Amino acid sequence: MRNLRVEFPTALGDSRVALRDISFSLMPGEIVGVVGESGAGKTTLARSLLGLPPVPGRITAGDVLFRGKDLRALPERELRSMRGKDLSMVVPNPRGELNPLLTVGDQIAAIARIHLGISRKEARGKALDMLKAVQIPDPDRRFDAYPHQLSGGMAQRVVIAMALVCSPSFVISDDATSGLDVTVQAQILDLMRALAEKQRSAMLFITRDVGITAHFCDRVAVIYAGQIMEVAPRHAFFFEPSHPYTIMLLAAFSHSPELRHRWTVPDIRRRTLEGAAGCSYADRCPLAQERCRTVEPPLAQLAPGHFSKCHFPVVR
Amino acid sequence: MAALLEVSGLYKSFTISGSRALVQAVNGVSFAIQPGETLGLVGESGSGKTTVGRCILGLLEPTQGTIRFRGEDITLGGRRSKSRGKMQLVFQEPAESLDPRQRIGRSIEEPLVALKVARNERHDRLLESIGLVGLSEDMLNLYPAELSAGQQQRVGIARAMITRPELVVLDEPTSALDPTARAEIIELLQRIQGELGTSYLFISHDLSTVRFVSHRVAVMYLGMIVEQGDAAKVFAQPVHPYSVGLLSAVLLPNPELKYETTVSLQGEIPSPINLPKGCFLASRCPLVLQRCRDEMPAPENLGGGHIVHCFRHQEVAALDSTTDTFTRFQEEAKRILGVFPGEPQPDSTVAQSENQQKAESGQL
Repeated sequence: MRNLRVEFPTALGDSRVALRDISFSLMPGEIVGVVGESGAGKTTLARSLLGLPPVPGRITAGDVLFRGKDLRALPERELRSMRGKDLSMVVPNPRGELNPLLTVGDQIAAIARIHLGISRKEARGKALDMLKAVQIPDPDRRFDAYPHQLSGGMAQRVVIAMALVCSPSFVISDDATSGLDVTVQAQILDLMRALAEKQRSAMLFITRDVGITAHFCDRVAVIYAGQIMEVAPRHAFFFEPSHPYTIMLLAAFSHSPELRHRWTVPDIRRRTLEGAAGCSYADRCPLAQERCRTVEPPLAQLAPGHFSKCHFPVVR
Repeated sequence: MAALLEVSGLYKSFTISGSRALVQAVNGVSFAIQPGETLGLVGESGSGKTTVGRCILGLLEPTQGTIRFRGEDITLGGRRSKSRGKMQLVFQEPAESLDPRQRIGRSIEEPLVALKVARNERHDRLLESIGLVGLSEDMLNLYPAELSAGQQQRVGIARAMITRPELVVLDEPTSALDPTARAEIIELLQRIQGELGTSYLFISHDLSTVRFVSHRVAVMYLGMIVEQGDAAKVFAQPVHPYSVGLLSAVLLPNPELKYETTVSLQGEIPSPINLPKGCFLASRCPLVLQRCRDEMPAPENLGGGHIVHCFRHQEVAALDSTTDTFTRFQEEAKRILGVFPGEPQPDSTVAQSENQQKAESGQL
C-alpha cells in the first residue's frame, strides 16, 4: 500500500477524508495487527484493500500493490476473480455473511468451484477438508447443515473456511473474533494462525482489542483519524511504545486510572479536524506543543521497523 | 454484616413454544452481595448471567429458590413494593436502551415518574444525578443520537442512579464501548461506589475488567456458579477447570504475560436443553473421571467464601504454578507506560490523580 487515501463525499459537495497516506507492506506469512477505535477507519481500510471501499467512499490517491501488480489499475473483472481466491476477507457477524438458504458445505464448495475451476465432486471434497481443518466436529453431517443450525462459533469457523478454501495469499480479518466468547476466540485464533502458517498467507488483522495483537501478530499498527500513528514489531510495540496515542490506548487497558489520566488531556476542545494544520492527535495529546498544532509530523523511523508519527516520541 | 442481597437455590427454566423441552437457564445459583460490594458475574454467552440479573430485578419470575433484599423476601414480583427503586439496571447497548425520540433529561428522570415523585423534586434529583456522572446541564435537551457512546452510557447510569439505588445490576455496561470510553465508564462506576457505597452486580464476559472492578467474583457455566470467591484469589489461583480454561483464554496486552496452564477446554458450551446428569463440564474437561459423568459435584467451601463445584479441585490447584498474572500485568504496564517526559500540564495532572485516588479507595 502506498499513500492510500479514501474520501467520502458529503452532502455539502466537499468531502471528508477517511484514510490519509496509509503506506505499509506485508510479507508472505506475516500477520500484521491494525488497532484503532471506532471511526478510526479500520473497516474502510479493510474494504479499500479489496477495492471495495464502503459506499459512497472512493479511493482518491495511492496504490495497492499485490505481488507487484497495482490492484487499482486492474479491470473490475480481473479484480473480481482475485477476491476470494488470492485476496479474501473474514468479517464479524458470520450469520449475516452466510446465505441462509444454502447448506454451509455447498457455500464453501461454490467458492472453490468458481475460483479454482474444479469439478463439483472435487469442490465438495475440498469443502469437506476445510470443515475438518477448521475443526468442526462431525464435518460430514455439518456439511449439510444450514447456517441457522450452527452456533456462533461454528458459523464463524465456516466463514473462515470460506475465506481460506482457495489458499489465498492475503487474508483480511475485520474484527472477525469480536463477537465470540473468549474460549472460542482462543480456538479460532489458533486455527487462523495455523492455517496462515501452513498456506504462507499474509494476514491483516484489524481489531479494537489490543490484547489479541499482543499474542497473535508479528507487527502492530495503530490508526487514529484515518492515519497510521505508530507501527512496530510486536515486542517493541508493547514494550517501547512511543506515540502518545498508543500509550494512552495501552493505558486504557491497564485498568490503572492513574496511568490513563497521565496520558489523557481533560476537557478536550476539539478543533474541526478537516483542514486543521498539524498533528491530528494534538488536541488530545498531553505532550502537544506549539509545533504539533502547526506542522504535521512525518511517520519517522525510530528503530528498525519502528515508525512513529510524532514530533516528540517517547524514547527510553 | 447482613447481606444486602441474598440469592439461594435459584432455578429458572423456560419452555420452548410448540415443544415440551425446557431450557434450563439457571440451575441452583446461590450467592450474596454485601453493602458497598461489587460481585463480578462472569461466563460465556448462554451461561445464564443475564437471566440471574433479570430474576433479581423481578423482570423474570424464578422457577425455584429465594431472593432476599435487605432480609425481605422479594422472590415474587408482586411483593416488591418496598424495594422499588432500590435496585436498578444499566444495559449493555447504551444507544438501544434510550428512547431515540426523547430528550435525555426526560429519559433520565423517567424512573422518578414511575415512582410518582413530584415534578420540582424530580428536577433537583435530575441535576444531582447528572452531576454525579459528569454530564452538563446544557446536554439535557439533546437527543441520544447527538451523544457519543460513552456519553450515552453516562445517561444510562444517571437514569439508574436517580432513584438512589442500593444495588445496581450492570449487564455488560462496557462491552459495546471503545477502550477509552470503557476505561472512563469503569472509573465513573468506581467513583460512584466510593462516594455512595452502592453495591454492584457486574455481569461481564470481559475478565480483565472484572478482575479489577470486583471485590468478589462468581464464574457461571451452564446456569451454575462453578466457582466463587475473592476476585484477586480466584484470578490468581482458580480451582475449577472451567475457571482455569476461561482465564487462560484472556489475551492481555502484553506479549509475555498469559495465564499459563496445562488445562485446555475443548469445544463449546453445550445446549441447556438436555443437561447431562453429572458435572456439566464433563464433556469438555481434560481432568474428567467416570464419577464426574455420573454425579454432580456438591459445593465445597474452601474457606473465606471460596466455593467450588468440582471433585478434583485439589488437583486443579496443584497443577499450575500460582502467579497473579493480572497484578503482574498491571505492574508491568505502570513500568512501561509510566514514563512521562516533561510535565507540560502539571496542574491538571495533579487534580486528576487526586480524583483517581478517590476512585481507587472506593474500590479497595
